[in-house]
This record gives sequence, C-alpha cells and structure tokens, in this order.
Amino acid sequence: MADETLKVGIISCSGEEIPEGTISRLATRRVLELLRAGQTVTLCLPLFLAGGEGERAFAREHPTIAVDGCGKLCAKRGTEMHSGPVSASIVVSEILGDCPSGCGRSTKGTTDADKEAIWVVSERIAAEVDAILSSSTDCCTSDGDDNASCACSKPLPGMQIEVNGRPVTIAGLGLIFDHLAENGLEADDACGDKLLETVRIYHDIRPSEEQGYRSALVSAYKAYRR
Amino acid sequence: MTTNGETARVLVIPCSGIGKVHGLISREATYEITDNLAQANADTMCLALLVMGDEEALSKIRSSHCITIDGCPKYCAQKNVELAGGQVAESIMVAEAFKNHRGAQPGTATKLTEDGWLVVREIAEGLSDRVQDLCGCEGEH
Repeated sequence: MADETLKVGIISCSGEEIPEGTISRLATRRVLELLRAGQTVTLCLPLFLAGGEGERAFAREHPTIAVDGCGKLCAKRGTEMHSGPVSASIVVSEILGDCPSGCGRSTKGTTDADKEAIWVVSERIAAEVDAILSSSTDCCTSDGDDNASCACSKPLPGMQIEVNGRPVTIAGLGLIFDHLAENGLEADDACGDKLLETVRIYHDIRPSEEQGYRSALVSAYKAYRR
Repeated sequence: MTTNGETARVLVIPCSGIGKVHGLISREATYEITDNLAQANADTMCLALLVMGDEEALSKIRSSHCITIDGCPKYCAQKNVELAGGQVAESIMVAEAFKNHRGAQPGTATKLTEDGWLVVREIAEGLSDRVQDLCGCEGEH
C-alpha cells in the first residue's frame, strides 16, 4: 500500500575541510534519524551533483532544504542548478558564528561544543521541516518505492521492542540509548523511568501502556549495553 | 608534483556519503591521515566544492596527487576527482576493507563503534604509507 506521506528532502554539504561540514552532516543525520524520522529523506550531495536523472529528480519530487557549512553554498547552488529551487537554505556558519572554533572535524572525541552545535543546527532544520509540511497541501508526495532517493539515503530503521507481546518499532532508539549511556544511565532495573521519559518525547506512549513500555525498554537497554 | 618548486601535499578526498556507515568511515579515515598519520604531507578538500567547479579547488586538484576513499561502488569521490582533471594515484572502497572483518559491526552513518574505528585505522595506516611513497617519489625525480 502506498504511503502518501509528504517527505522533505535534506541535502547537506558535508564539507570535509571545516568543522561546519561535519556539523551540517551530523545535524542532518539527527533530523533524519530522530527529530523527523519518516518525514525526511536525503541524498549524498556528490552523488546528486554528479548523478543521473534519478538523482536530479530529487528536488523536483521533494521540497528540499539545503544545509551548507559555509557561505560558498555548494548544497544550495548545486541543488538549484540541477534540480530546482530549494524550499529553505540553512548556513551553519551564519547560525553559529564563531562557535565552531571549539568544534572538530572528526567525530572522534566529540566535545560538548560539538554536541551543542549539532543540536542547535538540527533544531533549525527540524523547524524548517515543520514549516514546509504545515504549509504544504497537495505538492509532492512519495510512495513506499521512492525513486528520487538512493537506496542508502533512507532514514535508519528504528529498533524493534516487544510491548505486551506486540512488536513496536521506535525510530532512533539506538541513538536515544547512546545518548543516555553517554550521560551515565546505568543498565539496571532502575533505569525504566528515565528511558520512558526520554523515549516518549519522540514516540507516542499512552498512559495505559506505560508499564509495558517501561519493562520492554529496560530489557532492550540492558541487551543494547551488554 | 610541485607548486612553485615545493612538493604539493597529497590530497585525500573521501566521499563522505551521508546514507551509510561506509561514508563516515571514509571521512574519518581521511582525518586520521590528514590530522595524525601524515599531517605534514596530506590535506583534504571539500568534494562538493570541487564538483561545483570552484576555480581554486580545480587548480589545487590538478597540481596534486590525489587519493580517494569511497564508501560505495558509485565511486563518487574517484569519478569527480577524475572529471575535474585530477590524477588519482590511489583509490579505495571502504567495503573492501571489511573482507578481513567478516561480521564486524562498524556502527552507523552517525557514530562508529570500536569495530568501525578499527577499520578506519587500517585504511588510514595503509593510505598514509602511500602518501609517504608519493611524497618520497617526488623527491627522487
């Protein structure tokens, strides 16, 4: 059955030379995996720029947000040159100003400054996604077999847990677990409330299902940390 | 290759593919070379800037030896460097590096695991040797 959900395309510059490129790449991933999973798709910029008609159709079939690290605007200019106008343009250096001076290009040894920068930029992207979706009526829709994005550009699938005997997929659950582990959450029987509190930000949990979710999340978190 | 009589740094250019862990591995292997293992002799360049035809980037790529690291068989980095007139002295695909690591769980497009960093180090060590070869060869000519 076709999924008639409108999806917003996000094209990130990923500029290798500067920390802002890493921030744009990771902020885009955060939106795809966690903040707006299922509502967004992406495509590798070099593939888009050098690709064929399938790739070039991307911005024609999706309202697209360009995320650039610097004022050279490779993602925005490239998209508009080959595919059509972008719906929004985000420039990391304009949002963060001098802040990336404390950030690194590598994800090795990610600092609080890196995390903060990624957080700020990803929230901006998510806000633009919301604005586009709320202003859209019948423009581009995509079905389950999305020809305008490459196979590797789909959002990461969520992690499946079993709640009261029923399989439930939670988008970005691995990232949530990573985040909580980094913040010192022990994988023991006392972690249930914190897991529930965090997961419900991104995933609807009805009050009647809280206990089932709590116990399933504790089991999944223990297995994940093992 | 030389610029104004000085040996140009070898340019290491990853695809940085955003969809899979292989893109992140290509990117991190590049930084391991340019920031650690061959800091004095290697540099990187924004692939998108090159593809967009930036004059400075084109000039630099045409006067340097290039090493490309691609995440997938589309070889975006290698193809785009060649299209820009660059000489690719070495091209590798990340998936090849996994042949010696059957069953490895390298992480995601966002974050690498220990397995992922192990592959990064192996790729980077192999290519940093190649960087030194390229620089050494120039000295002998």
